[in-house]
Amino acid sequence: MNRFLSKDFLSGLMFIGFGLIALYFGQKLALGTTVRMGPGYVPRMLSLTLVGLGVLICIVAVVSGSDPVERLKWKPITLVTIGIVCFALLFERAGLIPALVVLIMIASLAGEEFKLTEVIGNIVVLSVLCTLVFKVGLGMNVYVLRGVW
Amino acid sequence: MDLLDNLALGFSVALSFQNLTYALLGCLLGTLIGVLPGIGPVATIAMLLPITFHLPPTASLIMLAGIYYGAAYGGSTTSILVNLPGEASSVVTCLDGYQMARNGRAGAALSISAVGSFFAGTVGTIIIVLFAEPLTRMAQKFGPADYCSLMALGLVAAVILASGSVIKAIAMIFLGLLFGLVGTDVNTGAQRFTFDIPELSDGIDFAPIAMGLFGIAEIVVNLERHLTRTGGTIKVTSLWPTMEEVRRAIPAALRGTFLGAALGVLPGGGPTLGAFSAYTLEKKISKNPGQFGKGAVEGVAAPEAANNAAAQTSFIPMLTLGIPSNAVMALMVGAMIIQGIQPGPEVMTKKPDLFWGMIASMWIGNAMLVIINLPMIGIWVRLLTVPYRFLAPAILLFCCIGAYSLQNSTFHVMQVAVFGILGYVFVKLGCEGAPFLLGLVLGPQMEEYFRRAMLLSRGDPMVFLQRPISLGLLITTALLLILMALPSFKKAREKAFVEEEG
Repeated sequence: MNRFLSKDFLSGLMFIGFGLIALYFGQKLALGTTVRMGPGYVPRMLSLTLVGLGVLICIVAVVSGSDPVERLKWKPITLVTIGIVCFALLFERAGLIPALVVLIMIASLAGEEFKLTEVIGNIVVLSVLCTLVFKVGLGMNVYVLRGVW
Repeated sequence: MDLLDNLALGFSVALSFQNLTYALLGCLLGTLIGVLPGIGPVATIAMLLPITFHLPPTASLIMLAGIYYGAAYGGSTTSILVNLPGEASSVVTCLDGYQMARNGRAGAALSISAVGSFFAGTVGTIIIVLFAEPLTRMAQKFGPADYCSLMALGLVAAVILASGSVIKAIAMIFLGLLFGLVGTDVNTGAQRFTFDIPELSDGIDFAPIAMGLFGIAEIVVNLERHLTRTGGTIKVTSLWPTMEEVRRAIPAALRGTFLGAALGVLPGGGPTLGAFSAYTLEKKISKNPGQFGKGAVEGVAAPEAANNAAAQTSFIPMLTLGIPSNAVMALMVGAMIIQGIQPGPEVMTKKPDLFWGMIASMWIGNAMLVIINLPMIGIWVRLLTVPYRFLAPAILLFCCIGAYSLQNSTFHVMQVAVFGILGYVFVKLGCEGAPFLLGLVLGPQMEEYFRRAMLLSRGDPMVFLQRPISLGLLITTALLLILMALPSFKKAREKAFVEEEG
């Protein structure tokens, strides 16, 4: 088994990574003194600790081993993310209904079963529900379908 | 007497038509998400946070609280009837509850669990009433150094609850604290980690983060595992338990209530921990432990009472000290901040109507839940037949709309996507989201108290050891850390989490 592809080793690397990113982007922030701390003091302290913990986690993982990472399935996470991004892009430009249709279509593709009639049914029900709850009920300031309502 | 006056005030607030409506709404929503697997109270409360903008503070907190304890009731229904826990806190109820149902005692199991939960909820509410005032008075003596140490204790204690590696959970706290510092520095106005994005200058909103980490990541993982719901639903006949069942359930429910209430108050405790400990206790003291797992009444009554008692008492540290003890409480703190209320000891003195109204509403909500759950059981069971392929896109949609309505900006929707990916990475690497969220919420306050304490002591870090309150809290924190490193405790902790997963 490859010890460097274990859950713990990789999460250690992740913590080191976040710590280094914070150190890099925080280097311009003034540290100040212990009496009057500048904006950079606490972030510097936290990022150094994070890097330290990450190194420790990596060492422990290599020495005593840990569970291997499960195989990733790319389809669900990719499609769900694309769906949300499309929703964000369409919501103000085109309105609630187009954004909803695209999100539900893409998200339904992420599952194992995809039956078009069911998905269309789901879209119709959710469209009516969301329009009633968010536009009519809560009076949200949003187009249902831009140019129409 | 003061206490009675306070309670009278609380009930007069909670019994107003508007607050009753929101308590009912919260309980219904809580039961709904409790019944449905694949969505928990954390993601639901995060989705609804933006809506609470439009509500008065008391009504919104009453509704959010209802979702939390309602989920504990709803989760048990599916555990008993279809062997599927709707929430983590009702996983143990499956063991004996489903077996009772298969033996034809489904109705009895449901009513014992509902009545036990109601009793536990009542006791939990009384405990909050009794402890709120003394604790608040104590908290008012706290200086900045004491607060800083208290938060450290709360964060470390939360690690016990995280399954898996302790050191990874601690690293997650630090990561959360770091994310919490994004935005404008309060003291100097300097921009920290904002990358010139104007939306980030107010800090990262935790609602999109919670939706991403707990909502989106959860959906993706469920889609990967191809969550299917098979297994026949069991018909409920009579709801009445036999005398023998009642005789065995009462002492078990009592023990569960007090164990759950005690564990709920501890930082890091909560309904799940309470339910597991209560089940283990019952099994240990039972005369015939062989019955457990085959439909023992005690195995339903004790954990159900415990998870509800713990759900109530976990409000105590949040309401009196402003320290959230779990992810849901972290969001409740967020809900208060949205409403312009700084959580902490001042809430009780400055907003007595909100404080006591919320407590009174919890008892009313518990009474509502018995009615929602017992006579209406058929409706909830029918909801279970909705397949996940309909639910997953709908939950995604509500997350997106909820994130947008936070500040009417699609930037927050993009944030949900980013934190969804991050949450997925966390799940794959076995890192817990709850310590991250606690660190995120406490980060800004903790920095503030730390800087103030150091300013007052003229840069001498010994101040944390010289003040007796702070010293005591830090010693407790150190003891907890040592305890977690001990081999025997480590083993017991691992065992508890293996049972949880099994």
